[in-house]
Amino acid sequence: MSQPLHLVLLGVNHNTAPIDIRERLAIPAGGLADATRTLVHQPGIREGLILSTCNRVELLTVQEESSSSNDDLLRFLHEYFSIAPASLTPHVYEYREHEAVRHLFRVASSLDSMVVGEPQILGQVKESYTVAREVGAVSGSLDPLIQRAFTVAKKVRSETQIGSSSVSIASVAVDLARKIFNSLDGKTVLLVGAGKMSELAARHLIQHGASNILVANRTLERAEKIAAQFRGQVVPFESLYTQASRADIVITSTGAPEKIFSKAHGQQFLHSRRNRPMFFIDIAVPRDVDPKMNEVEGCFVYDIDDLQQVAAANLADRSREAAAAETIVTREVEKYQQRVQSLDAASAIRGLQEHAEAVRQAELKRSASKLAGLTPEQQAAVEALTRSLTNKFLHAPMTALRDAAREGDAQALAELEALYVGQSRGRTDSGNSGSRS
Amino acid sequence: MNAHFMSLLWLRVAVLLYGIAALAVLPAALYERPRWRHIAVPATIAALLFHFVSLAEMLNAAHHRLPVDTHETQALLGLLLACAFIIVYWRYKTVSLGIFVLPICFLLGLIPAFRPGQESIPFPQFHTGWIFLHITLLLAAYAALLLSLLASVLYLFQERNIKSKHSHPSAEWLPPLETTDQIALKSLLFGLPCMTAGLLIGSMIAQQTIGPSYFLDPKVLLSFAMWLAYVGMIYIRRHAGLRGRRAIYLSGFVFLVVLAVWSANQFSGVHRFTTP
Repeated sequence: MSQPLHLVLLGVNHNTAPIDIRERLAIPAGGLADATRTLVHQPGIREGLILSTCNRVELLTVQEESSSSNDDLLRFLHEYFSIAPASLTPHVYEYREHEAVRHLFRVASSLDSMVVGEPQILGQVKESYTVAREVGAVSGSLDPLIQRAFTVAKKVRSETQIGSSSVSIASVAVDLARKIFNSLDGKTVLLVGAGKMSELAARHLIQHGASNILVANRTLERAEKIAAQFRGQVVPFESLYTQASRADIVITSTGAPEKIFSKAHGQQFLHSRRNRPMFFIDIAVPRDVDPKMNEVEGCFVYDIDDLQQVAAANLADRSREAAAAETIVTREVEKYQQRVQSLDAASAIRGLQEHAEAVRQAELKRSASKLAGLTPEQQAAVEALTRSLTNKFLHAPMTALRDAAREGDAQALAELEALYVGQSRGRTDSGNSGSRS
Repeated sequence: MNAHFMSLLWLRVAVLLYGIAALAVLPAALYERPRWRHIAVPATIAALLFHFVSLAEMLNAAHHRLPVDTHETQALLGLLLACAFIIVYWRYKTVSLGIFVLPICFLLGLIPAFRPGQESIPFPQFHTGWIFLHITLLLAAYAALLLSLLASVLYLFQERNIKSKHSHPSAEWLPPLETTDQIALKSLLFGLPCMTAGLLIGSMIAQQTIGPSYFLDPKVLLSFAMWLAYVGMIYIRRHAGLRGRRAIYLSGFVFLVVLAVWSANQFSGVHRFTTP
């Protein structure tokens, strides 16, 4: 019999390890193949995959029974990353068998991410898998498991709303802009004032298609610098009110103590735009845009608090959806385990059937001289009788094997396998050798 | 089996499919379930095909049969609305309008499918092709106006949703403002030539068969007033960039005029449906 294999997952993530540990363990994309290759060359490790992101480093391995303790994996981490065991061990978590399956499914489904529902993690798992395949580190055991993890992640995305809402200020701003303008292709963005947050929001809008950037700042040099950064155009601050109506989206973040845009300005802009909508993203504190401008039909004004409220509400929605996603993961883990166990039983049942058939054929061969005088019909009847008897004898152990596999009773399965399959193989071998002699 | 029986049979199948599409579009739009969208859209396309076959069967006996009574014209209006829904889906990838359009298609087809009206038009000397074109073009204009009104209502809902500054998961199904605005305006722009051509064809037929007295009928005069209101609405919407609440008031007003013109078929001395 082949040695039983064990699934072991060892790692650190944003919940268990501080950033200084995680950054020491982080593997650059170019080094992942070498690290994976080194991992599978560790004693007792049959298959392996390394997931390395900014928030986690995990080693997913299939190990032989003799090496089922995590010492080898810990040693690999210590040696490969040159980290003292004492500083690493307290932050490491370990999952085995179905708990490892559950963890992998949760990670791929973004349920274990710092921002639950973020979409990048699935791509990162896919990258790790591609590298592991390229170096020949995944095969019979990990391959179907990881494929299943991708399917589960897809299912979680399609059956829940876990990733549908944005949870950062910049992405909320983009979402709102898309609710107004649908596509941002060709839209004009006016940046009034300069600030990290406004630049980030502008960058997000550009990534989603906004192409014309106008920059207005009291300091011309600063405006030119930002405009150059975005390949935009400088609007002199003095002509702000005549030029603002060109913009579909206005991001304001000046340090002005008074409001820059009033309700009347909104009406003026809308009039010159023939009522085409305008979206004002006011990131400044104190605010640059009079909130009353939101009363103007076609003007949409969101200040920093409004954006934060939407982001917080979306985050709460994600948490609710995460509960539904956990249910899907639990169900999928059970299904996967059942499938794996039934495959185990299938192998045992096949072994038992092969053994029984070998015994039957051997007995028929031994009695061949005595049966030689039978007519073809009588020989066919003997053949049918022996086959039927064999099947009847096999029925009880096969049913027991199937039941044990279905119920996930690994101990019963191993005992039944040892009792029927192991012993019978032994007897077949000895019987065969006896008949040969 | 005669053409009339087959026409009814296909219309019933179409109505059943409209019903399925109307139900499937609810989870497809409200909960963004692609699986349901894959039922709603093909069911509508299949309904359109059966509806078209039904119409073709009816026209098979074209010398004595046209969609002239109230119920039949309703069914044709349903077909045009379903066409509009598919075009909107193909162009803008939104099924949200289906929440309103598909139940209307279902209801418009239901009565003619189970209670067919009279079989013949009382003016057999008319050229059926021109009358059919007259009816279809005007119904297309009505369908365009209805679609525009629905899109304007969705625009208003979305505008209020964004202005409320609260993330309502229940409002996620609403299409973006620019999409509904485009649907509303382009529907009207499509409807104008349809209405103009439909009225011109009707006028030419009337001139040939009844003479100038036809144009003194209140229903006919109201039809021309409807055309003027339609043109005025498009002019205002395009030049003032009217959107949201005021656009709905304007579309609503023109829609009421259209309903008045439709209802006048029951009272007109020279232009009326053949059923009582």
